[in-house]
Amino acid sequence: MHIMSIPSALIWAVWLLPLGAFALISPLIRPFPGKAEPASFISIGAVGISFALSLWILASVLQAPDRQIILHGADWLSISGGPVFNFGLLIDPLSAVMLSVVTSVSLMVQVYSRAYMHSDPSYLRYFALISLFTAAMLGLIVSSNLLSTFAFWELVGLSSYLLIGFWFHRPSAVAAAKKAFLVTRIGDVGFLAALLVLYTKTGTLDITALNSPGVLSAISGGVLTWAALGLFLGAMGKSGQFPLHVWLPDAMEGPTPVSALIHAATMVAAGVFLVARMYPLFQAAPHALTVVAIVGAFSAVFAATMGLVMKDIKRVLAYSTISQLGLMMLGIATGGVWVGIFYLFNHAFFKSLLFLGAGSVNHATGTFDLREMGGLRKKIPWTFAFFVLAAVSLSGIWPLAGFFSKEGVLAAALDKQPVLFGFALLTTFLTAFYIFRVVFLVFFGDYRGSHGPHESSRIMLVPMGLLAVPAVASGWLNANGGFEHFLGDGATHGFWSGFIGALAHPLALFSLLAALLGVFSAYTLYIKRWISPDKVKWFLRSPYAIFTRKYGMDELYENIIARNALYRGVFQAADWTDRVVIGGASAGIASLTTGAGRVLRRFQTGQIQLYAVAAVLGMTAIVLIALVRG
Amino acid sequence: MNLDLLRPEICMALTALAAVGADLLFKRKAIVTAVCLAGIAAATGLTFSIMGNAPQIIANRLFSLDDYAIFFKFLFLGLAFIVIVASVDYVNRMKDFHGEFHALLITATLGAMLTASATDIISILLSVELTAISFYALVGFLKNGKTAESSIKYVLLGAINSAVLLYGFSMLFGFTGSTVLSGMERATAAIPSGGAAGGAGLLFGLMLVIAGFGFKIAAVPFHMWAPDVYEGAPTPVTLYLSTASKIAGFAVLTRILVTPFMQPVALARNWGIILAGIAALTMTTGNLLAIPQVNIKRLLSYSSIAQSGYMLVAVAALGMSSSNFLQARSSLLYFILAFAFAELAVFTAIVVMSRNKPADLISDYAGLARRSPLLGVAMTLGLLSLMGLPPLAGFMGKFYVFTQAAQHGLLWLVIIAVVNSVVSAYYYLRIIKTIWTDEPASEEPVSSSLGPRFALAFACLGIAVLGVAPAIITRFSEFGSHMFMP
Amino acid sequence: MTAGLNNYLVLSAVLFSIGLYGALSRKNAVVVLMCVEIMLNAANLSLVAFSRFVTPVALSGQTVAIFSITAAAAEVAVGLAVVIALYRQRGTVDVNDINLLKW
Repeated sequence: MHIMSIPSALIWAVWLLPLGAFALISPLIRPFPGKAEPASFISIGAVGISFALSLWILASVLQAPDRQIILHGADWLSISGGPVFNFGLLIDPLSAVMLSVVTSVSLMVQVYSRAYMHSDPSYLRYFALISLFTAAMLGLIVSSNLLSTFAFWELVGLSSYLLIGFWFHRPSAVAAAKKAFLVTRIGDVGFLAALLVLYTKTGTLDITALNSPGVLSAISGGVLTWAALGLFLGAMGKSGQFPLHVWLPDAMEGPTPVSALIHAATMVAAGVFLVARMYPLFQAAPHALTVVAIVGAFSAVFAATMGLVMKDIKRVLAYSTISQLGLMMLGIATGGVWVGIFYLFNHAFFKSLLFLGAGSVNHATGTFDLREMGGLRKKIPWTFAFFVLAAVSLSGIWPLAGFFSKEGVLAAALDKQPVLFGFALLTTFLTAFYIFRVVFLVFFGDYRGSHGPHESSRIMLVPMGLLAVPAVASGWLNANGGFEHFLGDGATHGFWSGFIGALAHPLALFSLLAALLGVFSAYTLYIKRWISPDKVKWFLRSPYAIFTRKYGMDELYENIIARNALYRGVFQAADWTDRVVIGGASAGIASLTTGAGRVLRRFQTGQIQLYAVAAVLGMTAIVLIALVRG
Repeated sequence: MNLDLLRPEICMALTALAAVGADLLFKRKAIVTAVCLAGIAAATGLTFSIMGNAPQIIANRLFSLDDYAIFFKFLFLGLAFIVIVASVDYVNRMKDFHGEFHALLITATLGAMLTASATDIISILLSVELTAISFYALVGFLKNGKTAESSIKYVLLGAINSAVLLYGFSMLFGFTGSTVLSGMERATAAIPSGGAAGGAGLLFGLMLVIAGFGFKIAAVPFHMWAPDVYEGAPTPVTLYLSTASKIAGFAVLTRILVTPFMQPVALARNWGIILAGIAALTMTTGNLLAIPQVNIKRLLSYSSIAQSGYMLVAVAALGMSSSNFLQARSSLLYFILAFAFAELAVFTAIVVMSRNKPADLISDYAGLARRSPLLGVAMTLGLLSLMGLPPLAGFMGKFYVFTQAAQHGLLWLVIIAVVNSVVSAYYYLRIIKTIWTDEPASEEPVSSSLGPRFALAFACLGIAVLGVAPAIITRFSEFGSHMFMP
Repeated sequence: MTAGLNNYLVLSAVLFSIGLYGALSRKNAVVVLMCVEIMLNAANLSLVAFSRFVTPVALSGQTVAIFSITAAAAEVAVGLAVVIALYRQRGTVDVNDINLLKW
């Protein structure tokens, strides 16, 4: 089957369309607060076309020679005698896959948002910002020059800032937005420094050129390592890797669809994408790659332990995202681009589905607090079904998508970094535990809230259903090695031999065992108390006091085992490190800077002659320095 | 003498006279504004007419006519135009002094234009003084305790500074035997390369000159006048002071350093490293002190000090680059353009807000975006550009400057600068947050006449174009980096 | 014995320092302006001395000095005007009392 190769104008259209939607909607924001519907159609239409185009791009790349389409755009910045920064597009398997992920998730999330944000007075602003974000994210993916990548990188950061602070009348949202922006900018210092170093040493920032062996060998090893670490620092900030992860849980202050799109599926994955994009450079700097692996593995376990004790469903998912991003980093560092990106690909679908599910649960119950949920599986069966599918996929249970990508990471880690393999396996266990804790607390047992739960509207359920398909099946794309072949260089084999044969591998059994153990642990902890109908009947025969005592025992059980041993112990320690050490350090730096400002301004007393004295002293100082230097 | 090549300047001088005359003759004060704008437009046209000449030195070696000077002439004319247009509402606060205000703005512009092309100690001193004296008067224009205070501070410190500058120039003259930059160049060329970096007297004089212009550009530790003067001065004057006066200082400092003192290499590196140190100090101090401010003009004056630090990075890179410094110069000019547009956007909004009564506190800007979307957007764009957020002008400017510095062995300075720009995000975001999310004290919309709106739109356009399509503007800044070299 | 270049330079440096000291320490704004005049004249002296000894024919230093005297006169005129304005507004010319704007 031969598909006509996509015209280059349409490749440009992929990211220009959402930008156009933004430009079209944003001027409307103020005057017509009532007529909001058309805005969402413009925005959804734009991203829908982008989605179709990115599928076409994917097909075209499959057929393109060298699997690459490079479009030279305008000279963005040209310095005479120096190099030219060309803003062009680089379409290769990596960017093609990312394009389809971003456009598809964005499309689903926007459709979902039509219902979710329906009664919000700032409906227009919401869709304008979502379009802006989508355009910036797509631009980041396709840009062929690290400088423009950086520009888009900041732009997604800005739109994330605006969307986290979307409900700006809540002080917590404003604080979270600011925190997100500042913490990621700390990472961006590294990114920018790396750009300057690379540019100084090679005279170019063109991605293809930078990744070519000839250019790479021109940079000495030490410098290259620092440059790679600088890039990774940027990636850490965006992808919420330890210790720059602190902003991501707070970012949940934004609307839930935003969390699904930006803080689960796309923008936070930009860090992983950046490492994948510059993978040849990282390969040439093996020490940096080791750092990537260690930071990733550590973040994976660290964040997963935090996910165990959160009471807010979105925060559990946020920590889960950090943890999963850590696994992606580990995958790229040990197994190459395809391992990490395959994980990213699958994760985007099931994690955004989980978030949309959480949003649906919130619609039903009016809360994100796990303690006020329970027994919802009967009330909102569709949400329940989709959520559980995504949870199973996240846990990495065969034959759902998550299993196949987790396999890749585990195998690669075992091969290259056996110690970190242990981390990854532990993460698998913890992941299954915390996500099923959520499932059991939300959907099983008795309803503990006061709000009358009801199923969400079809506009919300349909996108969830559509996302559930890849959440289940996206992993099968590599059952025949096709994904690996597309992004890497592996050979393809039969579908069924991969699909079933994956189970025959001892590693698969290990990871399945870890995952099932996690599910089982959650079951023993959280289900026994609420779901066993026989026991409930038995208690009904007994006096009410026994019922409460039994209940009290369960409380005790959870208190002593879960809270005292685990929460007070290990997880509390992790939480403490997070709050006191990391949070304290960043707060300390912040107060040091503001404190320095406060002290320094005292010198500005308003006295003219003091100003003159300062200037004369400065003058004397530079004269002396100049004379001493000769 | 070929004085006719000073056509634009002569036109500006006549415009200043015409403004005073129009003020005397006509009741309608709008006529004065119109006369000034027409004069500036005519001078701009005349500047076009002297373009394309080969770099040459004119008027008895007092001035040079090169692309560098023409770049700055355009820039100052444009700034003056926008400042006058932006303050058409504000000037009603000083009804009786309409003509004087405009005439002094024009003479300040004239001084700045002459400064950019001056090549002799005499012409440098006189043109710098022309700008400075105009500003001494402008700063005190509102006739209240605050502006009088900022005016006296500026005058006294400026006078001390003039003396230092003159003393420094006398040293340069004494140890090179010439009052003309090209003559000084012949003297420094005679210093054997590889040897000492010129005599002690020469170094002493050069450092005094750097200190003197350090005062003009508000470099730490010569900066302390700036926050007080910026805060007290009428806002349009603050805008013009923070752009034209500072940019003129950079123009002439760069010309003085680059024409005679690039040789021997040791001398160039000596002042290069000293400027690098001053740059680091300037941006750090500016950013740290901006954080605790509650007065927006004061905050922005510290921010403007920090921006001077970034510009000094480019000048320091010039000193460190021993041969090809065309790009470093172009990066400085680019940054200056980006800075000017951002300052225009932010300060014009403040001018509009304080057209009737002072609006100096950050809290006065609460909910501004709701009261006037144009003001809110323009101010936000300007602040984001100052912060260096891509893809706006400020980012490209910083990137351009930083790559030049990194290429010339100032990576440490670049890292300090990058860290500084993160710190600066803290206080810029604070203002942006206030503009967009805080509850306004009154929901009353902010009205503005056509002039300020034009100025805001122009500034926003500039910020966007410089960031999104810098290739167009780099042509201009590269054009401007061609300087008359003896 | 005739005075050489060094004698003039030392005199000029001494005058400059005296002026600077006065400008930094006197409390009356008018006196500060007078001290600045001393600094300017010190610089003029060194210009003229250099001109006499380094470029005896060209007279370039003298020319600069003449112009700088003109500029200084203008500067002081504006300076005094500002001092008067300040006195009208605040009733003082003591530079220690001028500290509304700070921090």
